[in-house]
Amino acid sequence: MTEPAEKHESIEEVVFAYEPSPEPFWKRHIYDFIIAAVFLVFALITAFSPQLGLDMPFFTKLRTNFINDFIVENRFMWLVSGLGTTLIITVMATTLGLTLGLTLAIIKVLDYNGKRIFFVTRLAEYYLTVIRGTPVVVQLMIIYYVIFGSISVSKILVAALAFGINSGAYVAEIIRAGILAVDRGQMEAGRSLGLTYGVTMQKIILPQAFKNVLPALFNELITLLKETAVAGYIAVADLARAGDMIRSRTFDPLLPLFAVAAVYLVMVMGLTQVMSKIERRLRRSDNR
Amino acid sequence: MITVEKLCKNFGSLSVLKNIDAEIKNGEKIVIVGPSGSGKSTFLRCLNLLDQPSAGRIMVDDVEITAEDCDINSVRQKMGMVFQHFNLFPHLTVVENIILAPYQLKKLNKDDAIKRAYELLDRVGLREKANEYPIKLSGGQKQRIAIARALAMNPEIMLFDEPTSALDPEMIGEVLDVMQELAEEGMTMVVVTHEMGFARKVASRVMFMDEGRIVEQGTPDEVFGNPKNDRTKLFLSKVLDH
Ligand SMILES: Nc1ncnc2c1ncn2[C@@H]1O[C@H](COP(=O)(O)OP(=O)(O)OP(=O)(O)O)[C@@H](O)[C@H]1O
Ligand SMILES: [Mg+2]
Repeated sequence: MTEPAEKHESIEEVVFAYEPSPEPFWKRHIYDFIIAAVFLVFALITAFSPQLGLDMPFFTKLRTNFINDFIVENRFMWLVSGLGTTLIITVMATTLGLTLGLTLAIIKVLDYNGKRIFFVTRLAEYYLTVIRGTPVVVQLMIIYYVIFGSISVSKILVAALAFGINSGAYVAEIIRAGILAVDRGQMEAGRSLGLTYGVTMQKIILPQAFKNVLPALFNELITLLKETAVAGYIAVADLARAGDMIRSRTFDPLLPLFAVAAVYLVMVMGLTQVMSKIERRLRRSDNR
Repeated sequence: MITVEKLCKNFGSLSVLKNIDAEIKNGEKIVIVGPSGSGKSTFLRCLNLLDQPSAGRIMVDDVEITAEDCDINSVRQKMGMVFQHFNLFPHLTVVENIILAPYQLKKLNKDDAIKRAYELLDRVGLREKANEYPIKLSGGQKQRIAIARALAMNPEIMLFDEPTSALDPEMIGEVLDVMQELAEEGMTMVVVTHEMGFARKVASRVMFMDEGRIVEQGTPDEVFGNPKNDRTKLFLSKVLDH
């Protein structure tokens, strides 16, 4: 009897094997559970201290504040609608940013490949320099107060426009780097088959470039989501602004601002989770 | 089929091709040999304008491809090229690699393109790899797929730039076999290679290049058996000793 031939391991199995074998769920998240438990106990004491017959001024105050901050006048709805506004701005700005970024990246790569579109390339360069060289808050205010100063227009749209224009500059750099990272031989192979530059770009270069930079693009999305918090500068009632409005109404900074922070944190953690899933899948199917 | 007149190519101040004249006839199998840096790749890449000539004229079937208004894409469709590093498209499966160009260029509809792809896969002996991604293939398999991909456009001429140089020795044979079959079927071929055995067997003409010039050319017997130029002799003595 001979030993059975060793099982052939595919690349993905090998790569997988190098990932640390997962500990049991509870063990991995032990600190998360402890922190959650502390918060829960805290919340329960705050909520039920009268019923429990406890007389602790700190918890009583927290309880009153909580009711003022979120229950009275249905103020928690401010946060909810603020969150909606933040999400709308983020989605619109991301769409605009990707469109602008891709266009600019292609203009720059065309320039790099010697297919210069004189005037357009210059314009793109100015745009990238100015947008990346100035703070987004300043851009936001200029667009709202100067460019749309005398026209009545939805503030949410202005915010989406400003953040989209801003994000576009960063997305452009990401995608451009991704395109240039694709092996030169790919363009040559495409062209040698008789495909045009445009078709080769679209069918061969860009799919590879996007795959390479997907994690970086996702990072940009996360940054953008957090950055929209300055939309309050033009009095858009986004999530951050909603928290601030509650604070100025109730004079309690702690709960509303922590609540706002918690919502951002949960969203970012969710997105990060999605991103690492995508990254893992990309790595596994990595067919370079 | 291809006429080259006074072809020059400079990279900046470096002169890589110096006044090359050449004529490639239908059905010829040209093997280009020469030391590293002598301009073999550049010459080959000028033939389909992957490198833009600095001066001179290149005619392909009476089309002057060096002319300003030449539609190079349609000329390239009948000139297949195989690269040293395969350059398969990593994000596409083997079949997708092969059908991309004929389908995009509307040479074939999708069904016919796939049918043709499988014929070509049979021909290079890799039908069972049709739905694999290139990463899963060995070097020799990759190169055979690259040849199939180029053949999918039904080219009239095939250009090979050191197709076996990046391969492990045990895989060279399988690629050369495919190339030899292609030659026997009458394909016009221009091959840059260091495989002297292949050159002897397949070449109808050997060109020896050195420092941007075609220094000597003739049948394999003439060039290998009785080289006239000193540089050819020196080069051959180095490569044939191994
Ligand atoms: N894109 C480029 N830019 C600048 N110089 C180049 C470029 N491509 C080739 N060269 C130079 O041109 C010369 C000829 O290169 P080429 O690749 O044609 O040589 P080769 O005969 O194919 O050599 P090898 O056997 O090493 O492949 C070399 O000196 C090389 O450095
Ligand atoms: Mg070379």
